[in-house]
Amino acid sequence: MTLNRRRFAALLAGSAAVGVAGRGLAGVSLRPGDVVDGGELPAREASWYRKLEENRVECRLCPQACKVADAERGTCGVRENRRGTYVTLVHSLACSVHADPIEKKPFSHVMPGELALSYAAAGCNVECKFCQNWEISQFRPEQVRATYLPPEALVSLAKRAGARLTAATYSEPVVFWEYVRDAAEAARNAGLAPTVVTNGYIQKEPLEEVLPLLRAVKVDLKSFREEFYERQVRGRLRPVLDALEVIRASGVWLEIVVLLIPTLNDSEAEVRDLSRWVKGTLGSEVPVHFTRFHPTYRLTDLPPTPVATLERAWNVARAEGLDFVYLGNVPGHPGESTRCPGCGAVLVKRLGFTVLDNRLVDGACPDCHRTIPGVWA
Amino acid sequence: MSSRLTRRELAALLGGAALSGAASPVSSRFPVRHPGLVAVARLAPGEGCGIDPTAAREAVASALAAATGAAEAGAAVRALFRPTDVVGVKLNCLGGRRMSPRPEVVNALVEVLAAGGIDPGRIILFERSSRELEGAGFAISRSGEGPLCFGTDNDYEPRPSVSGEIGSCYARLVTETCTALVGFGVVKDHDLAGVSGSLKNWYGVIHNPNKYHDNQCDPYVADVVRHPHVADKLRLTVLDGVTAQCHGGPAYRPDGVFDLHRLAVSTDPVAADLWAWRVLDTERVRRGLPTLEAAGRPPRFIATAAGYGLGIGDPAALEEVEV
Repeated sequence: MTLNRRRFAALLAGSAAVGVAGRGLAGVSLRPGDVVDGGELPAREASWYRKLEENRVECRLCPQACKVADAERGTCGVRENRRGTYVTLVHSLACSVHADPIEKKPFSHVMPGELALSYAAAGCNVECKFCQNWEISQFRPEQVRATYLPPEALVSLAKRAGARLTAATYSEPVVFWEYVRDAAEAARNAGLAPTVVTNGYIQKEPLEEVLPLLRAVKVDLKSFREEFYERQVRGRLRPVLDALEVIRASGVWLEIVVLLIPTLNDSEAEVRDLSRWVKGTLGSEVPVHFTRFHPTYRLTDLPPTPVATLERAWNVARAEGLDFVYLGNVPGHPGESTRCPGCGAVLVKRLGFTVLDNRLVDGACPDCHRTIPGVWA
Repeated sequence: MSSRLTRRELAALLGGAALSGAASPVSSRFPVRHPGLVAVARLAPGEGCGIDPTAAREAVASALAAATGAAEAGAAVRALFRPTDVVGVKLNCLGGRRMSPRPEVVNALVEVLAAGGIDPGRIILFERSSRELEGAGFAISRSGEGPLCFGTDNDYEPRPSVSGEIGSCYARLVTETCTALVGFGVVKDHDLAGVSGSLKNWYGVIHNPNKYHDNQCDPYVADVVRHPHVADKLRLTVLDGVTAQCHGGPAYRPDGVFDLHRLAVSTDPVAADLWAWRVLDTERVRRGLPTLEAAGRPPRFIATAAGYGLGIGDPAALEEVEV
């Protein structure tokens, strides 16, 4: 459900009572629902950085570990050094808000059919040439129209929209990690299930600090090759694998998405290597979604991923022993549905983002009674 | 908030030609070039730290003539620009009032251009945001006799342009409105790039400069400038070196500032940076600071830009002419 301008305003009416006007370092006063469009941005001191000599700072949020001079910003474009104090410019500045089915994230083992109040702030810490949301992820916050939506107002909005979950998504939640943390805490306190959809490009300390507040994390594993990360993402693979291990060890529910791009990361060998690593390091119960690429942003000279390529990946991953393999961006394909790895029965039948049938009983297969891992309630 | 010119404003600037398709606003690359030549005029503040307008105008005029090999400034202007050009002057105002092109010096350039036949109403002083311009002492003006002065304020092309390693949306002011460009920077140290003078200034016309500060901004700075959106229109580079900063940039830092008392003009944007690098290193050595090379941040993008054919990157080929 997209929240159009009128509905958004209606939902926010009354939120002002729960939100408190925010005052950042820049002295910008905002109330929930205020639109920020190109003007002064509210600034709050960032949580993960260290001060260096001569007013320089080192960001300790993501593996880019930007060393930032006074008046400059990190790679993400949303954190700025102001005379030796590193500030985030996107806390509570939601540039995109929708109530989406949780299947759209995609999560296949998290409360099927429920709505997630999904939100994003501008910016990203990498630059994928195939980014689907580049209009918000590859811009700085002053370049993107946003609404001041502090955590309490976000939760209020979620409840009014009938959402049982929240999802930090669309752009890259790592760059607005303080907002994610505070929104997750507010959501939990209100009985909602906070989730995050991320590239997993984050340092260990901030990840571990926020994980206890989350119910589920979906990580985009963009490839299993360092070269791909260097050339197509402007990041590195190893830190993402490290983050996946941290998430898995925390007990927070984890799902992985792999966007298969023709000729770049869709070889059988790479899919096999990835599947073996997931099974050997994270376990066979971690769902892996192979999704279909569509040309966009800087990668417009490649065709959409053939369905046959996705099906080949599905077969390889299953043959390597992964229990839950899904196909995405191919509405109507049987690979969208959840099957029991024990008896093969279809447990959650999906068509696109719609759940047609959910046969799970207390998180188990009704036929063979095998427990299916996930967050079901 | 977008500051995109309205159709009426754009028509007024272009005389309707571009909108009607009657004439192409695009000019050929570097109509006048003197590779490696940087003309340097002395320009110092007077009493009270202000710049005398007459002295500024004379400095700009003499340096411009020397940089182009013209007999006088008017001839230089006519060689570089057509009367129908819309001339965009990209200022670098990140450093605020104390480390940005001085309004008096910028006004001097406008006067010299006007004396050479460019209608001031067709000159646009711009930076990435109006707020930064105001912070550097410029008054925002979107109409009137000219020059106009405003920020691009997030008005970018809807799709990214790929140039080498960068993929960026360029400001529409550069891609659509202006038919000729002037880079007007300062002479300062940059914590990552090494030097922020001529070429680095053009980071201000793309939407995502924050993505391109790794590897000392190389090759990204050169990639931004070599795109036809800039390279095909860039005619002139001016560096306000009345005050320069040899350390602690790009933000203003008082203990890094020194009196250079120079104004540099060149048709070669790469050589202009070579010159800036040299004067910054000279001051750094004088202060006992390591050179930029020794400090681990030589402006390598200069050599890359030279490799692209944007100008001269060999220090031995730099020709500095004092006027």
